[in-house]
Amino acid sequence: MNDHTILSWITFIPLIGMGAILFVPRNNSGVIKLIAGIATAIPFLLATQVYFGLFDKKSAELQLVQQLDWIKAVDAQYFVGVDGLSLALIWLATLLMLVAVPASFGIQKAQKSYYALLLLLEVGIVGVFVSLDYFLFYVFWEVMLLPMYFLIGIWGGPRREYAAIKFFLYTLTGSVLMLVAIIALRLDMGAIGAENPFSIPEMTLQAGAGMLTGTGLPFGGHLLGMQFTTWIFWFLFVGFAIKIPVFPFHTWLPDAHVQAPTPISVILAGILLKLGGYGLMRACFPIVPSAFNEFAYALGILGVISIVYGAFVALGQTDFKRMVAYSSVSHMGFVLLGMAALQNWGMSGAALQMFNHGTSSAVLFLIVGVIYDRAHHRDLNGFGGLAQVMRKYWALTTLGFFAALGLPGLAGFVSEAMTLMGAYNSEREGFKTLVIISVIGIVITAAFLLWTMQRVFLGNLNEKYKDFDDINFREIMCQAPFLFLCVFLGVAPWYLLDWMQPSIDKLVTTLGG
Amino acid sequence: MNDYIEALGYLAPELALTALAMVILVWDLLKKGRDSSHLGYATVAGMAVIAWMLLGQWDSLGDSGRHPETILGMVVIDRFGTFFKLFTVGSLAVVALYVLFDKRERKHGIGEYYFLLVGAAIGIFFMVSTNNLLLLMLGLELLSLASYSLAGFHKGDKRSAEAALKYIVFGGLSAGVMLYGISLLYGLTGTIDLNAMGTGSEGVGLAAQFATSPVPVAVAVVLVLAGFAYKVSVVPFHFWTPDVYQGAPTPVTTFLAVASKAAGFAVLLRFIGALFMVEGVQETVMAYSERIGLLLAILAAVTMTLGNLSALRQTNLKRMLAYSSIAHAGYVMIGLAAMTTQGFSAAVFYLAAYYFMNLGAFGFLLYFEGAAGSEDVASLKGLGWRYPVVSIAMVVFLISLTGLPPTVGFYGKLVLFYAGVDAGLAWLVVVAGLNSALSLFYYFRIVKSLFLAQADDKSGDGEPGLGGLIAVLSVATIVVGLFSGPLQRWSDSGTESLGLPPLEESK
Repeated sequence: MNDHTILSWITFIPLIGMGAILFVPRNNSGVIKLIAGIATAIPFLLATQVYFGLFDKKSAELQLVQQLDWIKAVDAQYFVGVDGLSLALIWLATLLMLVAVPASFGIQKAQKSYYALLLLLEVGIVGVFVSLDYFLFYVFWEVMLLPMYFLIGIWGGPRREYAAIKFFLYTLTGSVLMLVAIIALRLDMGAIGAENPFSIPEMTLQAGAGMLTGTGLPFGGHLLGMQFTTWIFWFLFVGFAIKIPVFPFHTWLPDAHVQAPTPISVILAGILLKLGGYGLMRACFPIVPSAFNEFAYALGILGVISIVYGAFVALGQTDFKRMVAYSSVSHMGFVLLGMAALQNWGMSGAALQMFNHGTSSAVLFLIVGVIYDRAHHRDLNGFGGLAQVMRKYWALTTLGFFAALGLPGLAGFVSEAMTLMGAYNSEREGFKTLVIISVIGIVITAAFLLWTMQRVFLGNLNEKYKDFDDINFREIMCQAPFLFLCVFLGVAPWYLLDWMQPSIDKLVTTLGG
Repeated sequence: MNDYIEALGYLAPELALTALAMVILVWDLLKKGRDSSHLGYATVAGMAVIAWMLLGQWDSLGDSGRHPETILGMVVIDRFGTFFKLFTVGSLAVVALYVLFDKRERKHGIGEYYFLLVGAAIGIFFMVSTNNLLLLMLGLELLSLASYSLAGFHKGDKRSAEAALKYIVFGGLSAGVMLYGISLLYGLTGTIDLNAMGTGSEGVGLAAQFATSPVPVAVAVVLVLAGFAYKVSVVPFHFWTPDVYQGAPTPVTTFLAVASKAAGFAVLLRFIGALFMVEGVQETVMAYSERIGLLLAILAAVTMTLGNLSALRQTNLKRMLAYSSIAHAGYVMIGLAAMTTQGFSAAVFYLAAYYFMNLGAFGFLLYFEGAAGSEDVASLKGLGWRYPVVSIAMVVFLISLTGLPPTVGFYGKLVLFYAGVDAGLAWLVVVAGLNSALSLFYYFRIVKSLFLAQADDKSGDGEPGLGGLIAVLSVATIVVGLFSGPLQRWSDSGTESLGLPPLEESK
């Protein structure tokens, strides 16, 4: 293992683990869990080593690059590397997957298949973050879908079959549009004589030089009255926006979240949604910067609608998990708003918000999981007074809720404030109005979280629940790393920002901000 | 005389196939007893030998990929034909193994079964290696006649009989239509040789005719196309497909869906290539080539959409796969509609991809007819947990059919889409992409049934040999998907041997 292959090891060690699990007898669940634990722990340790050791945080360049020929016929390469942005998310992803293993110990059904699929999912997720070749990127992007389909569909709640296929169909529809755009980009790259026509960094360079405009394609730079770049932009945007999810593409999310088992919800909210935001930053905006600039305001509006609409719908939920799911829509809206502002603070805020939402939503879903395991329902009006019997749980929940609603001193505050300041400082017209509207979302978020707190923990204790056990050690340990990050990054956000800043600055310059 | 002796050398694979057919027939008569599995093994062994001969022929053809002369004035020896012959041999071997491995099917697997399969292959061999419309027609009819009898092979089964009858009626009609079209073409150009028709070397070329009298040319071309469209089940000539596929014995359906369909596409590619993509033609009469391209593009869009929409409603797995095969014909048509060498090569590659995933999917069907005793999607309930290997293999075939990586189906769709966008058919590619998403819905009904439901433990045992073969095919689906280079080179090389403009260096 050397600097050039370490990313490949991080990506594929879970696959080795998956292979190993397939050879373990079905009833030997101890060994299966052990293998799953090891196969997720090693990538996490390696990612940590990269983060604090091998990676040069002062550089905006792609690092630890590995580039090999793969499919010569279409010039697809095995091309991986990281910059500050992807590295932070890789670290988060490996951490989440590591935590997902002990968080899954409650699952009894078909454990062998469960852990095998979980590891396959990790390959897809990490693969997307390290890919720098669009073909490879797409392959990993799709590899994620199948394990997710099964994880929701087999181990999910009562309406799991519906939720699983809905998730799959939505994402696939987005990604076939993406595929068409990728093919068109590849052909255009070929037409202008690029050396590695699938390479994302090379596409970015060519696009920055104003070369990637589709003039080399049979239909020229225009198609049905719209510019080539406009088509590409919307095709890619929809593909990624479904994943984020941005209003109006968000309807798969509540179903998937509510039906998925707790650890899968955690992964879904914690890292899968970030793939959408990351994709926009890495593989959409820099490749069609002109179209991005043209439609930035529209994206800002979509972001604000997601913030406000998500918060209002969350307010109206009586299902605990559904409420948390809609709060994700609201929080991810900040990511889009921050990016659309095209301003250093806004972009860093968006990247930071992705990370922080990853930790805080993981905490929220774990909190829901704890109560669901005990009460076997999630009706917010069915609890009450739990603070009297589950004191530790109440304390952790309070911390998690405050992190999510953006209390100063906790992580969510920093990133939301940065996106809003970025948007407010934006040189584009109209963003000030958007910021003012989005503040409504923050208020409503505080309202529904505090109201939930009141309904579940305060008031009279429901007699049925007076014998509930408090949160146990395993459950605390699953939440601990994320709560720690929520606090730590609230106080010292530069432990993330310093790493990201060079890449973000470069991105903003590329986009013309 | 020397000509004939020399010709025999080139026709060795065809002769070997004919000899095999005779051996099967005679051996079956000589040997008494119910069990005819030795004939099945003989068929498989024969296929191996013929594949070896074909590989030798592939290598012996030089850079141009084709023999300079037309053998006996009729047979063209080129890599394009050899590719499809290898394809046929490969599918026939798998189909024969399906019959052998499945004990219910083995009962029907008497000598004639294998004889008819080999006979159909002889038909395919001739139709894919000729430019002569007469020989093409003969090959096509030989294939058709063998297929009609095979479709009705389960003699006691009403559906099988219905399938055979329907197939004959539709087949006879379309053969007549096509023959009429061919006679018109002959009248217009004075030749039955496709190349001469295209270039006008023996009288008037079709393009020149089109310039003066467009209507008769259009009518003739459309009539011939209708005949081909029937063979590859392109809308609106697809009506026979669901009934015949459902009624025919499953191995026969497999043969029809894979080998017969690929052969149909092979002649279609040759026909379009020779008549519409000749050098100079596209420049002189743009409208002539462009219109046929547009027609093919529309047919492609309608075929894939209708195929997928109809498949959505099916509850019978076999019928669902029949509609899915119609949809896939639509995808292949993208390559034809592109009217470029690249598009043709993509179509050829996709057919090869289709070989792996569709043989596998039909193998799965056969396996579960035995294990679950039904063809209903609902009857697969929970069987994924009982037969994990075969079911996981089926998931691989289904994601490949949907076109998801890392499978050969994804790569096949990628090259098709690629050729489509490059030819300016971006709209068609978007339609095809959305169709892939649509197809996921019914393909994953199967997955849902297999894994997301609980089993009710009524199923019998599966056939281990069949299961093993399916597993091998699923591994191939992934491996060829990840390392598609060699297959891509083969389809490129085969397509170029048609005499189309050479492929540019990819970049």
